[in-house]
Formats: sequence, C-alpha cells, structure tokens
Amino acid sequence: MEQILANGLYLGAQYALIALGLTLIFSLMNVLNFAHGQMYVLGGFVTYTVVAQFGLPFIVGLVASAVVLAVVGAGVERFLFRPVVARSKREESTMLLAAGIAFFLDAVILLLFGEKQRGVPKIVNGVFNWDFRLVMPYDRILIGVLAIAMIAGFIALMQYTRAGRAMRALAQDRMAAQLMGVDVERYSMLGFALGAMLAGLVGGLLVTITGVNLGMGGPTSIKAFLMIMIGGAGVISGAIAGGFILGMMESIGLTLLAAYGDITYLVIFASLMVFLAFRPQGLMGKPWG
Amino acid sequence: MTPILQVRGVTKRFGGLTANNDISFDVAEGEILSVIGPNGAGKSTLFKLIASFLKTTSGEVLYKGTRISNLAPHRVARMGVVRTFQETTIFRSMTVRENIVVAHHLRSRASLLGFFLGTLQARKDEAEFGASADEIIGFLGLDAIRDEMASNLPQGHLRALGMAIGLATDPKVLLLDEPFAGMNHDETMRMVALVRRLRDERGITVLLVEHDMPAVMKISDRIVVINFGQKIAEGTPAEIQSNEKVIEAYLGSEDAAIGM
Amino acid sequence: MNTQKLLGIGAFVIAVYVAVPLAIALSGRWDFYYTLTSVALLSVASAGVWLTFYIGRINIGQGAYALAGGYVSAILVTTAGVSFWLTLPLAGVFCAALSVLIGLPILRLRGVYFAMVTLVLTEVARLTALALPVTNGAKGITSIPLPGEVSILGLTLIPDFATLGNPKLAFYFMAVTLMVICYACLWRIVNSRLGHLCRSLQQNEELAASIGVNTAYLRVLAYSISSFFGGIAGAMFVAISQSIYPSSFQVADSVNFMLNCFLGGLGYVFGPMLGTLLLYFGWDLLFTTGRYQLLIYSSLMIALMLVLPNGLLSLFDRKGGRK
Repeated sequence: MEQILANGLYLGAQYALIALGLTLIFSLMNVLNFAHGQMYVLGGFVTYTVVAQFGLPFIVGLVASAVVLAVVGAGVERFLFRPVVARSKREESTMLLAAGIAFFLDAVILLLFGEKQRGVPKIVNGVFNWDFRLVMPYDRILIGVLAIAMIAGFIALMQYTRAGRAMRALAQDRMAAQLMGVDVERYSMLGFALGAMLAGLVGGLLVTITGVNLGMGGPTSIKAFLMIMIGGAGVISGAIAGGFILGMMESIGLTLLAAYGDITYLVIFASLMVFLAFRPQGLMGKPWG
Repeated sequence: MTPILQVRGVTKRFGGLTANNDISFDVAEGEILSVIGPNGAGKSTLFKLIASFLKTTSGEVLYKGTRISNLAPHRVARMGVVRTFQETTIFRSMTVRENIVVAHHLRSRASLLGFFLGTLQARKDEAEFGASADEIIGFLGLDAIRDEMASNLPQGHLRALGMAIGLATDPKVLLLDEPFAGMNHDETMRMVALVRRLRDERGITVLLVEHDMPAVMKISDRIVVINFGQKIAEGTPAEIQSNEKVIEAYLGSEDAAIGM
Repeated sequence: MNTQKLLGIGAFVIAVYVAVPLAIALSGRWDFYYTLTSVALLSVASAGVWLTFYIGRINIGQGAYALAGGYVSAILVTTAGVSFWLTLPLAGVFCAALSVLIGLPILRLRGVYFAMVTLVLTEVARLTALALPVTNGAKGITSIPLPGEVSILGLTLIPDFATLGNPKLAFYFMAVTLMVICYACLWRIVNSRLGHLCRSLQQNEELAASIGVNTAYLRVLAYSISSFFGGIAGAMFVAISQSIYPSSFQVADSVNFMLNCFLGGLGYVFGPMLGTLLLYFGWDLLFTTGRYQLLIYSSLMIALMLVLPNGLLSLFDRKGGRK
C-alpha cells in the first residue's frame, strides 16, 4: 500500500508538471498544444546531450533544457501561433498547426538525436528501503522532490509575481486584461515559453531515470490531455489534481490489474468517460456553453 | 378554461444566487403577456426555465395542464412551446429560406431514413415545408431577402428571421426574447403590429420579455413585473403603470430606460 | 439533379473504373494500384471524420474505429471462418454500436474538449489491442486468408481472390467501389433532411434544440455513421494487407484523417476524397527525400497554415467574394 502511494506521488508530481505547462498554454491562448509531448522529449535530449555528451553536471543539463525549451516555446508562439490565431476563423486551425509542430519536432529530434533510447548515468546511488514495505531508489526520491518543488515554485510565480498575475488575468478574460493595460502579446509569449519550459524540465528530470526516446512524445501528450480533462482544462489547480490523480491511478492500476494484462489505461479511459458523462468540465473546470 | 401555460412557484438558484424566487402566473390562450423588469431581474432566466433550457430548482411549468419543466428542450418545442432567440441566434451559413425550411423539422412525418431514401412521404414533406416556408416569408415580408445568406443580414431582418424560424415550428405558445431591443420607433411599431398579427391571424399565444416600456404598454394584454428574481406585480398595462412598487423598482435601478 | 452534375459523376465513375486502370496498364506503374487502393480506403475513413465535422465536432479518433473494424473482421475470418464479405458490414455495425456507447457521454463535449477525448480514444484502442487475448497482443493477427467467393444460386458475383491472377486490380476495384458507395451515401445524407439538421447542429445547437431537433440523438447518429465508415475502411485494409497489428492505425493516422478533411475543405462532400489524394501522394512523393521526409512534410504543413489558416479551399472563398 505504502509502495503504491509513493509510486503514485512520484509519478503524479511529474505528470502534474507536464499538465501545468499544457493547461497554462491552453488557458492563455485557447490553444491545445499537441506538441507538448515532443517538447518534453526535446528537453530530455538536451539534458542528455549536455550531461552524457559534454560531461557537464546534471544541473547544467537541466538549466539548458529549460532555456532551450523556453526559447522554442517563445518562438513557436511569436512566429507560428500568433499570426495563425490572428487570421483563422475556426479553432481547428490552431489544432492543425499544433499537430504540424508536433510532426516537425519529431522530425527534428529524429535528425538531431536519432531513434535510439538515450539515458544518463544515475545522479544518486542507493535505494531507500523501509522494511520492504516501501522501496524507492534515492534518485527517484530526489526527482520527485525536485518536481514537487518546481510545482510549488510555479504556483508561487503565478500567485505573487507581476507576470503571474498578468497571466492569470489574461487566462480569465483576454479582452478585459487588455483593457486593464496588460500587454497581451508579451504575456502570451511568456506563458507559452513557460509552458514549454515546464515540459522540457520534466524531460530533463526523467532522462536520469527512464531515459528518452523519439516515440515518447505522442503518448506523453495524450497523458497530459487525460490529466487536464480529469482536472478541468485551463485551471491550474485542476492540472495539479489531474496529474496526481492520473499518477495514482496508474500506480494502483499497474499493481492491481497486473494479473489481467496491461489494461490500466483502458480502465482509466473507461472511468474517465463515465466521469465526463456526469461532469464534462472536469473536477475544477468552469462549466461552459 | 385552463390557462394554456401555468408557471407555478418556479425557483432557480445558481450556487448561492437566487435568480428566480417562487414566481407564479398564468397565461391564457390567445393572450399577449409581457414579462418586464430592470436589467438583471431574472427575466431571461425565467424564459429559459419556461422553455426548459434550464432546469428549475423547484416549482413547475405546465402547458395545457402537462408538466413541461425539466423536459429536454426539443420535447417542449415538440409540444408547441417555442422560444425565439435574440438576433445572433440563427443558422448563420444558411440562406433565409433554408433557415426557415430546416426549422420545419417538427412537422416532418417521414423518418430521417425516409428522407435519406427519398420516400414518397419524404418528398411530400419537403414540398410542404417549402410551401409553408414561402408562406411565412410572405407573412413576414421577407421576399426580397429570401436567398440572402443569413450572416449577411442587417439586424432588423435577423430579428424577423428569428421569428420566422419560430413560426416554422407551428407553435401554440411563442416566447419572444426582447423583440424590440435596439429598434427605432418606426421599427418598433412595425414589430408591435406584427406580434399582434401573430396572435390575431395565427392564433398564437405570445409571451415576451422586453425592456421597451412604451411598446410593452401598447402590445400587452397583461404584464408581469419581476425584480430581484421576485414577482412584484401582475396586471393590465393601466394597472401596472399606476403600481407604486413597479415605479419604485424602475426608478431605483434605471430611471433612464423607463420612458413612461 | 441537373445534367452538369450527372455528367460530372459519370466522368468520375469512368475515370476511376476505366481511365485509371488503362493509364496504369499503359504506363506499367502497377505499384500505383496499391497507392490508389489505399487512398480510396483512407478517404472512406476520412469521409466519416468529415461527417463529424459536419455536426461541429473535431474528431481525432477515427483510427480507433478503423482498428476496431479491422480486428473484428480479422478475428471473425480467422477464428470463426466467416466470409470476409459478411465481416465487412459486421465490422461497420460493431463500430457503430461501440461509438454509440462511447458517443453518448463524450458527444456532450465541444471544441477542443471533444477533440482531446477522441485523440485519447485512438491511443486507448491501440492499448486495448495490445492487452486483450483475442487480438493476440503485439504479434497481431497475420496470414489472414484473402476474401473468398460470393455467389448466389451458383452464379459467381465476386470470384475468390486467391484464384485471381491479378489481385491488385481486384483490390483496387473493390476499394474504389466501396468509396463510391460511401460517398454516394454521404452525398445523399448531406443533401437530405438529415444533412440540413446536421448543419443546423453545427451552426447553433441551442437553436436546433428549440426548433425541436433531438440534438443528442442526432449527434450520436452522425457519430455512429462516421464510425461505421471507419470500421469498414479498417476491415478492408486488413483484407488487403492480410494482417493487423495494434499499431496498424495510430494517433498519427487519426490526425491524418482530420487533416484530409481540413485540406480538402469542410464545406464540400468530396473534400475529404481530394484531401486524402493530395496528402497521400504528397507524402509518397516526399519518400525520395529519405530521412528528411517528415521534416519537409511538417514544414509544408506549418507553412500552409501560416499562408492559409482557413484551409486550402478558402482560396475559392476569396474568389467567390470578389464576384
């Protein structure tokens, strides 16, 4: 039991970080970022390159992932989404653009880093063992704690800084924020950069444990969509709740349902559908339409 | 005779906010009844409750003695209680005539499969809808714009189109949502005449929500006034005009809009 | 129907049944049969996606139904020995029934919310195929026999494909026939009352309800027809490749079905067919660029969105506006 909870927390912390980035972008731009998983993979490869190829410390790799992805995110917003959002009539246009960007990033990752699974050596050795009731390698604990610290940092940023407040205003009502004098374009770009950076950071964190490969992008995006549907799209608390809930469900499912084969996600999806039938806006989302 | 529509103790709460509180009134067949009240008094909510676009928290709405509140909106429409919308609510990428033809859905006797296969009944239905649509176009004087794309229409015509869509469903009770909003005096007078004709020539009972006091006074047989979600008065236009509570409610909130 | 339309349809039918096989025979490019067969089948699945667009929903889950339809046919043919021709409609019906179950809760969602759920659905279908014993996991189902003979009272309507000298041509005719039938149905749906009601739903669900349209029922109906198309397309693909794996239809396929519709134009019944043809050939042409294929393809896609954010056919809109 303790083991399941700990695994769930560890997974949930990472998932919540991914979902936070996605939901931030969604709330600011009303754009569903299909390329989120690819951004995560790219982050993992940047850390891998810095740590395993250049032999620099892990923390440098993590910072490099954050910086590269922030730049990619800002560029994608400034040069791709902004002009398309301004001129398109239907919301599927941005969806297609996002799908195109996902393919594009896949292609770039393929050309730059190849198809192989990549990883970096463990950053901390040893395993925490509490009577075999709870066994967890120290590096996983460290990553979990780092992820939770980042979530806390993100919340603090959104709550207490000027930029955070501006972005929250923007998410609530774009028009009103503009009237209040918020520089909409600047904060949209910042928000996109921040969202992409979060994805990159998780990629950088996880490359030490599970490694990265090209094929992880799509499934990661899909998990992120699941999380924000559970929690409610565009709501920060919802993304965090969705992340931890999915992490927990996955952890429980992998343990309890192992006897029946790999049906965890089937069960999760089925329960999601039942849940959405009663609460289409998710746990914390606002009702719409 | 039982009233065609009975609103009985209807209450609607959104979270902690009470939009409508225990509102009751009857509408007699062939009557033109207006619901008025200051902005935010809960008129639109009441309308949605009657057409069953919202579920009531408590209370009920009866049509010819049958409960219609909390049914699916299309079933309420099927029974003959039809709501028209404000002008943004039309099928934008259809022509005026297409809008009206498609709104005849309720009258179709052939099944959807029948329409797909093009059975005799389906073809008869289509011909009938076309003829009826043309008749409605004539009734509302929309001949000049019949093949115009709805998204290109000016406001005044959109309002008429909204009404045409409502008429196409062959309603017994028509709920009109602010039919005079944004109209100048001449347009308003034309609309007043039109609403009268709905009742006089087509026998439709009309329930309307409106701001424009002079028009309401002119058109209504009876008026229900609500404020802060409560019914504060009910009566003929003359009675309402001299009701102190009503005057107070209006003076208190928006004396400019009252115009009487 | 006016003569111009009849002529157009006639020309199209002659083109696909006569002109294309002739041209291929003359040029000797027999590989085009495979390409065009794929285009025909993919365009059937895309037609389904187009119909969900027509009720105002963005469907990125067609891959799930193509996969489900493929497995239904494969399992029935290999384990129960049912004739492929019978499994074809059964696959469609199975998918339609499945989509009713799934559609009832999720069709209440709109916009990106619906799109997200359907995307997840594709992935769930793949995971299900991996997990269930009946689908044989990652190994998939292989060596599926070719479609057999269909005869009525001794009269052979469709010969046994295994006895044919040129099954490629037979598959081409079979796929094209399916495509023609599906698009004829789609055209009829769009131009009958059902289509008008779908349009009313797309443009304004509240108003549609107020004119008495049972919006929930209509949405589920359109979605199940859409899934039916996906199911039969998947089943026929399986018959041609004689194998199916959990990865036969993936998220990328679902996205492509949506792209086909968008590229061809959401306002035209034959849009998805055109879109499928263009995209499939475009992708094939880029094959020569080797490892840069995906890069060029995605760059073109992004460039297209930048230049024409409202789709290829918005070019015609502008022309129409200038008249």
